[in-house]
Amino acid sequence: MTERSVTHATFVVERFYEASPNRVFRAFEDPEAHDRWFVQGEGWEVAEYTHDFRVGGREGGRFSPTGDPVVYSNQAEYHDIVPDERIVSTYSMARDGVTMSVSLATIEFRAEGSGARLIYTEQGAYLDGIDQPTMREQGMNWLFDALAKELQREPAGA
Amino acid sequence: MTQRSVTHGTFVIERSYPVPPARVFKAFADPKAKAQWFVGPEDWNSGPNSLDFRVGGTETNVGGPKGGPVHTYRCLYQDIVPDERIVYTYDMLMDEVRISVSLATLEFKASDKGTHLVLTEMGAFLDGFDKPAQREEGTQGLFQALDAYIATLTADA
Repeated sequence: MTERSVTHATFVVERFYEASPNRVFRAFEDPEAHDRWFVQGEGWEVAEYTHDFRVGGREGGRFSPTGDPVVYSNQAEYHDIVPDERIVSTYSMARDGVTMSVSLATIEFRAEGSGARLIYTEQGAYLDGIDQPTMREQGMNWLFDALAKELQREPAGA
Repeated sequence: MTQRSVTHGTFVIERSYPVPPARVFKAFADPKAKAQWFVGPEDWNSGPNSLDFRVGGTETNVGGPKGGPVHTYRCLYQDIVPDERIVYTYDMLMDEVRISVSLATLEFKASDKGTHLVLTEMGAFLDGFDKPAQREEGTQGLFQALDAYIATLTADA
């Protein structure tokens, strides 16, 4: 019998981007932009991913580290969207079909000086010791680095 | 324009029950059992309610004081280990306004006396409509109703 356990943890990641809150928000809202920085991560093979950015929308996909047969999947739901200001979502992560975490993620966008401050708060339940909060925090930091690169691209329509 | 805010909070509620984990689990998993205790005050309007207890399934519980705001609980089941664990996320709405989004874990642990139940709730409370302390108080009220329901099981035994 599997020894069951749950680890609860909250972490916060803050970033300042030289881009308007609207531009940063658009990187989450626009499927093409979201796909570039959030889905198509370096070192990952994405088997499938569907975007559904609206309150009640569910999105997710399946992906593997390059050359590794293990399949990770995520299933997210958008709960609250305030354009240019806030996104609240929940998501579960599974490894080879076994749920390893369920998280509640809040993103706040605030105008600050010539750009935007992004405050990401993730509250999570990590199941049966498969994943750890510190690993997740590191993963989110990589993603927000990728978002910085996305925001350095020419704005669409500019 | 609304001033936007988010307050994050976590609380834990624990209980000890003199019945096996399977019987406590059933109080959450079985729609008829859950309807015995997961309800608003007696003088509230209630419904429509539904419970689809499976991973990916949803639960809705609607109620409110007569002539007052409609409280809507909308839950999505994320992880279920029979008799051991339930992980779910839920929204609370007051009329059409979403006041919070929460992630809750229920752990059912076998103990010498029966079951040790642990609820851990992590929440994002939106725009100042509700607070973690208020939610904890409201959830304590639901657990008192659960206590009374479990007591009827032991009385039957």
